[in-house]
Amino acid sequence: MKKEHGTIQNYVIGFILSLVFTLIPYYLAVTHTVTGNVLLGTILTFALLQAAVQVFFFLHLGREQSPHWQSKFLAITVGGIFVVTVGTTWIMYHLHENMTPTETELKLAQDEGIGQVGGKATGACVGNSEMHMVVIKNGAVSPYHTDAHRCDTIMFMNEDNVPREIAFGPHENHEPYGGVAALALNSVQEQQTLTLNESGTYMFHDHLHAEVIGDFTVTP
Amino acid sequence: MAEAVAKLGPEKQAAPKIDEAKLREHEEAASDRATFGFWVYLMTDLLMFSILFAAYSVLHGNTGAGESGRELFSQPVALTETLLLLTSSFTCGIGMYRARQGNKNQVLVWFGMTFLMGLAFLGLEISEFTKFFHEGHTLQSNGFLSSFFVLVGTHGLHITSGLLWMGTTLIVVSVRGLKDSLVRKLSLLSLFWHFLDIVWIFIFTIVYLRALV
Repeated sequence: MKKEHGTIQNYVIGFILSLVFTLIPYYLAVTHTVTGNVLLGTILTFALLQAAVQVFFFLHLGREQSPHWQSKFLAITVGGIFVVTVGTTWIMYHLHENMTPTETELKLAQDEGIGQVGGKATGACVGNSEMHMVVIKNGAVSPYHTDAHRCDTIMFMNEDNVPREIAFGPHENHEPYGGVAALALNSVQEQQTLTLNESGTYMFHDHLHAEVIGDFTVTP
Repeated sequence: MAEAVAKLGPEKQAAPKIDEAKLREHEEAASDRATFGFWVYLMTDLLMFSILFAAYSVLHGNTGAGESGRELFSQPVALTETLLLLTSSFTCGIGMYRARQGNKNQVLVWFGMTFLMGLAFLGLEISEFTKFFHEGHTLQSNGFLSSFFVLVGTHGLHITSGLLWMGTTLIVVSVRGLKDSLVRKLSLLSLFWHFLDIVWIFIFTIVYLRALV
């Protein structure tokens, strides 16, 4: 019976070990000496070492009388904990991976103006923004260059009595902007609005009159 | 008559001795059973905590539009809490050692220190929680905060009940002295306290340190 309980020396050793096993992972995590999965593995290892110190030096397990019911029960519990925690994490990780929206799904959500899918930001523009006017009059684009922020809108207005088709990129080799291939302005005073959801500098031109060109720069 | 008395005498004196030994044996067996029963409770409690840990590890990334643990947690505060609990686990062990020696004053000193450190730990945790609430980070904010408050809060409630148990037991010890039944109670209490320390180590690692990974 007496053997079950520790000596002062035992408690002191256990205490010092527990301090060491706390300060090392704390130091590693706070200073970022190691990062990522290495850090995760290291701090988890120290937590297990720490728990072992508590069990052997403070709970004095393993020194009880045969048939060691407490140790056996602890072992079974640890097995159960392993199944619950590792199993849950494993299943949910894969579920999460499979449920994570792909690039095309994100794109769709962005076009629909949905800000978030499965906890992942789609980059969709939600909320107020500035509107920039681009007027095409007498075959000239005014202003020729537009500076805008992401999520602003740009409005193309046709002041000439000819149909126009605003396409992006240089003539012949069109590159759709934000999933939009072209905007049709079929008659005078017709206008089309475009949400600037992609950053960078983009050229546009009238596909029907290739000399009508302009560009806009979108900053994030 | 005198012969009969002489005959009865030794028997009468011997009888309580046998009873006392039997009683002690019986008490020890009962104490072992109580310890094992308490151990069963601790293990089921541990399983419950493991489910809360599993929920946290699944949900800790689901912050919605809110801040993540990296921005919210203060690691120095978490370290202070850890050191308080570790030290209180140590003083609790020493207190238990003194209790088995039957040294009442030493028991009151060491368990008193344990109690104060537990109280300081609880104070830090409550101030952390109120700070979060004032900043608008509540149980309802997102999955991460729900699982965080439930996991850490459940541990905090265990600490609270441990402190109530310790406080009342210490009052009884100081009034009635170190009876065997109280030493047994203290030994269960110290099991509980070490157990809470172990659970906290994993909270410190999986909640507070992991936020930095």
